[in-house]
Amino acid sequence: MSETKPGAAPARPSLEVFDLVKHFPIRKGVFGRRAGEVRAVDGVSFAVAPGETLGLVGESGCGKSTVGRAALKLVEPTSGRIVVAGADVTGLSPRAMWAHRRRIQTVFQDPYSSLNPRLSAGAIVGEPMENYGLSRGRETEERVAALFQRVGLRPEAMRKYPHEFSGGQRQRLGIARALAVRPEIIVADEPVSALDVSVQAQVLNLLIDLQEEYGLAFLFVSHDLAVMRHISHRIAVMYLGRIVELADKRTLFRQPLHPYTEALLSAAPIPDPARKRRRVVLQGDVPSPANPPPGCRFHTRCPYAVARCRSEDPPLREVAPGQHVACHLREVGAGPGPLAAAGA
Amino acid sequence: MAGDAPLLEVRDLACHFFTLDGVVRAVDGVSLSLARGETLGIVGESGCGKSVTALSILRLIQKGAGRIVGGSVRFEGRELTTLSDEEIKELRGHRISMIFQEPMTSLNPVLTVGVQIAENVVRHTGAGWREAMDRAVEMLRLVRVPDPERRVHDYPHQLSGGMRQRVMIAIALSCDPQLLIADEPTTALDVTIQAQILELMVELKEKTGTAIMMITHDLGVVAETCQRVMVMYAGRKVEEAPVGELFANPLHPYTRGLMRARPRLDEDAEGSGRRPRLQEIPGIVPALNRPIAGCAFAPRCALATDRCRAERPELEERPGGHLVACFEAGKGVP
Repeated sequence: MSETKPGAAPARPSLEVFDLVKHFPIRKGVFGRRAGEVRAVDGVSFAVAPGETLGLVGESGCGKSTVGRAALKLVEPTSGRIVVAGADVTGLSPRAMWAHRRRIQTVFQDPYSSLNPRLSAGAIVGEPMENYGLSRGRETEERVAALFQRVGLRPEAMRKYPHEFSGGQRQRLGIARALAVRPEIIVADEPVSALDVSVQAQVLNLLIDLQEEYGLAFLFVSHDLAVMRHISHRIAVMYLGRIVELADKRTLFRQPLHPYTEALLSAAPIPDPARKRRRVVLQGDVPSPANPPPGCRFHTRCPYAVARCRSEDPPLREVAPGQHVACHLREVGAGPGPLAAAGA
Repeated sequence: MAGDAPLLEVRDLACHFFTLDGVVRAVDGVSLSLARGETLGIVGESGCGKSVTALSILRLIQKGAGRIVGGSVRFEGRELTTLSDEEIKELRGHRISMIFQEPMTSLNPVLTVGVQIAENVVRHTGAGWREAMDRAVEMLRLVRVPDPERRVHDYPHQLSGGMRQRVMIAIALSCDPQLLIADEPTTALDVTIQAQILELMVELKEKTGTAIMMITHDLGVVAETCQRVMVMYAGRKVEEAPVGELFANPLHPYTRGLMRARPRLDEDAEGSGRRPRLQEIPGIVPALNRPIAGCAFAPRCALATDRCRAERPELEERPGGHLVACFEAGKGVP
């Protein structure tokens, strides 16, 4: 696959998100008085090109899942714009969204809770085809059988119910359902996190094969850096509702520029006892998104923070070709280089 | 007590569950030993019996659901499988402690964390309440909870996931146990918090000399914390070796498969620009409620022969302190 750089994206992206904001109200008391808000997503923009995988990575509460849910219109954004396959779907009612929903499909983390237990596997995949008028009757059956084969399920499995499948098979079924309506982009939220390592590999390989075969775009949401590195073309790192770094994966892993990215990459344990790494162990916990710190949101845990970081919010800027970073310590064109620990 | 006798010696442990679908042989003849101050990793995927092994040692298998049907567990020279309920309770949280994946479900939501640490201290050491609360503050400081004098009065819900796991470790270590069993202690935590907790556990082990049994599905966690590793599959140990040896020279096809199936964070394998395929382990784990003929891994193994399908391989010793249960061990692509 060719690496797609932001700015150099082909004609029409499969998904575009402009300045997405999603605040959830915190309600208190018996009357549900609005007592504040959780700033789950606070100004996020990106585009996913056809055939590309954009990885959204970050820790719990960073807003990565909310971004995915907003793109799917499962939550209505507080502000910002969402463009699916060239059509602005912001503010569309569920009914008006229906026509566009065919273009953007999803694969969830827990395939069991996302599959109707009362429908046979064949119906789960076949119904959306008929709903969208893509096929009917015998033709549907044939297409479902072909799709089953493609995702590695036996056609006989069409008569089974979700509970009769193993976790990995259920995820294959979830993937078949998503593919049934020939979408342009799939939002996959932690699609392999609930699976055992040996089965994870099967599903990851399948996703990559399908992407290359159908030219699908993926918005791949995960906390798992190794999986991200494997499947993504570009990666956006999120922290407290913001993208702090966005770059193609090779650049990101070889030369992370944001201190949070650096810490995140160095924190993941590596299965090689002979390898000793310089690890940046972050102190403290992620602050609450209901009350994010002023200035740079990462400054409370950043080993390099200076006075400016505590007062001024750094914008996401392209500091090197294709590498976008939100950090005061990374001036445009200043080059990578190690940062100096504060007070050192 | 002999100085070189192992701290914990498990022999042929079998723990079965009695379900409507038949007898599930969750642990089916596992032996292991742990020296004082040593860290042993137990790795495997869901249902391999790693957690049940740990729960059986502490006799925490829910009565009526399953029970230890064979084997022995000797800890500091005492047989644990035959102790009375009272005797084993005295041991738990005192000589042997355990921490779990989700600290919130193990902590009591209506007691402050200080009280929960102090309770354990009072129960096992006979210390006074005041002294025990001092110990609680000291333990919170040891696990590096900031501002321990204030935090000791917090309830579990006031703490983050990482802080709760620190509290669990504080409770577990409050009576200077000889053995700490950690069952996926960082699996529910974010990666930066996981790094903090693993670093803390390694540091505390050096400081206190507590032996650790680290149960995990994550080979990365094993590589960074353990001295010796055993790999389990379908209720049995299939391989064991010192950590360096296991990663440098894995012999069992399942162990090799696990290592290759996982995408690597530290490798620039995508040099060509194309994403490489992960090596799959085909199929799924076998059901444990039916007798398994031959090697349990054979149906998924590329090296399996007729012998593997008919006869169960026993553990054999190999050079380098290596044990492996496989007729074809070390064959094929390393």
